[in-house]
Amino acid sequence: MSTAAADIEAHDDHGPAKGIRRWLFTTNHKDIGTLYLLFSLTMFFVGGAMALVIRSELAQPGLQFVHPEFFNQMTTMHALIMVFGAVMPAFVGLANWMIPMQIGAPDMALPRMNNWSFWILPVAFGILLSTLFMPGGAPASGWTMYPPLVLQTGNAFPFLIFSVHLMGISSIMGAINIIVTILNMRTPEMTLIRMPMFVWTWLITAYLLLAVMPVLAGAVTMLLTDQFFGTSFFLAAGGGDPVMFQHIFWFFGHPEVYIMILPAFGVVSEILPTFSRKPLFGHDSMVYATASIAFLSFIVWAHHMFTVGMPLSGQMFFMFATMLIAVPTGVKVFNWVATMWKGSMTFETPMLFALGFIFLFTIGGFSGLMLAIVPSDIQYHDSYFVVAHFHYVLVPGSIFAIMAAAYYWLPKWTGHMYNEKAGKLHFWMSTIFVNLTFFPMHFLGLAGMPRRIPDYSTQFADFNFIASVGAFGFGLSQLIFLYVLVTAKRGAEASDMVWDHPRGLEWTVPSPAPYHTFDEPVHIDRTVAFPENP
Amino acid sequence: MTDVDAETRKRIRRTTLILVGVALAFFFGFILMGVINS
Repeated sequence: MSTAAADIEAHDDHGPAKGIRRWLFTTNHKDIGTLYLLFSLTMFFVGGAMALVIRSELAQPGLQFVHPEFFNQMTTMHALIMVFGAVMPAFVGLANWMIPMQIGAPDMALPRMNNWSFWILPVAFGILLSTLFMPGGAPASGWTMYPPLVLQTGNAFPFLIFSVHLMGISSIMGAINIIVTILNMRTPEMTLIRMPMFVWTWLITAYLLLAVMPVLAGAVTMLLTDQFFGTSFFLAAGGGDPVMFQHIFWFFGHPEVYIMILPAFGVVSEILPTFSRKPLFGHDSMVYATASIAFLSFIVWAHHMFTVGMPLSGQMFFMFATMLIAVPTGVKVFNWVATMWKGSMTFETPMLFALGFIFLFTIGGFSGLMLAIVPSDIQYHDSYFVVAHFHYVLVPGSIFAIMAAAYYWLPKWTGHMYNEKAGKLHFWMSTIFVNLTFFPMHFLGLAGMPRRIPDYSTQFADFNFIASVGAFGFGLSQLIFLYVLVTAKRGAEASDMVWDHPRGLEWTVPSPAPYHTFDEPVHIDRTVAFPENP
Repeated sequence: MTDVDAETRKRIRRTTLILVGVALAFFFGFILMGVINS
């Protein structure tokens, strides 16, 4: 054997480095997936603590605990942290762990860039969180950063822009890595259409990321030059147009919503067949529905700004285009229900979270349809109805799917079964409290309570109190999840398949998954032709 | 880059370059739109 060949073989056989170096310099997709997931969990609790500050202040009318300016900082930071620090990195973590294993690749195509995309994130959020301690405090103009208000941010402004740039660079590099991996590293027999739904939804999500994160970066760059370099992109006094920022922001912002929900669709499409013991109903139509949703997400952005003033034809176009999204989404919900139809269903924790997702995400979808209707939206705009809508989509939508995925793949990651009783308790507590928190917000919004305010009129007191109780209950419920994670390695040893004959290549490797998997191309027939030929 | 054959390596490089180009086009394209509009 030549020396070079021996070197390659030695490289193939090595395990993880020891100590902190393993995590700082790792190029292993499983390590980087773990880092993303742990970072996301940390940010979930940081952003959650901010949500509890908000709900404490709103538990009663009048100003209780915080200054109104700090309240605005909390709403802004909560949103930025949950969107860019919790939900997105969680899905990127799942992608890192699962995509190479699901397509039979040895690793991501660009492993060093993978390391870089992760380690930019803690820096970005370190910068963002440091603004809390600056004169003038953290950004307080909302996560939408609308000018001219955002330009009144104090010392925090350039740090906000820099951190958004870093988050964008990290996301773009992550998206490039995922697309390149899926297009070039699949095991030879896995054609595109045979790919698992989680991989498909991530491929489409990565294209969305690639298209819209640079747009956000462009928008905040223009904000930066307006503030410091004398330009007038968005300053009316200099001939600029503040409404143009809203158009550019929502050209990013609406696809961003789908960036946070398409991978969730993929997770649910993986879990339902396993616990229904049936193949996914309409796999190919799921792919086309996902692609249709992604396409439509680019042509509906102005429904976020109906009240800004636009021609009637514009309102009609954006209203009907938005309503059209209900069609492919309906295809998905139909396929999930059809998957379960006459299935031999069991209700382990991942399945419970997936079912919770379907019911509660659909509520968020319906309130979205209400908001799509221009005359209704003019009434609901900037009210708590909008807050209720997007929290139903993001909490029992995206976050429930992330929880479902964590419970589903945890035994494959750790090699042990998690505490099922604690998992089920986590699900039921989360479901009860998430509804207690967000359902009353529909009524508050319909009754006219505006969002982003620290105080309110006394007729809103009861529903606000219920929402605050729900929020604290939901927050405490997440400690059960923490308990499940801490005790994840104490359970019984997991088998390779973990569940009752799940589909997919990830279940063909031992539990826990070895540090290196699929060094050689695999034949997929033996793994996916199931359960007809177990 | 992950240990792959020369052909795959070439395809990975090509796809990456195309995608980086797309990202840069969106970034500068939207700034250009801002310049034209203001």
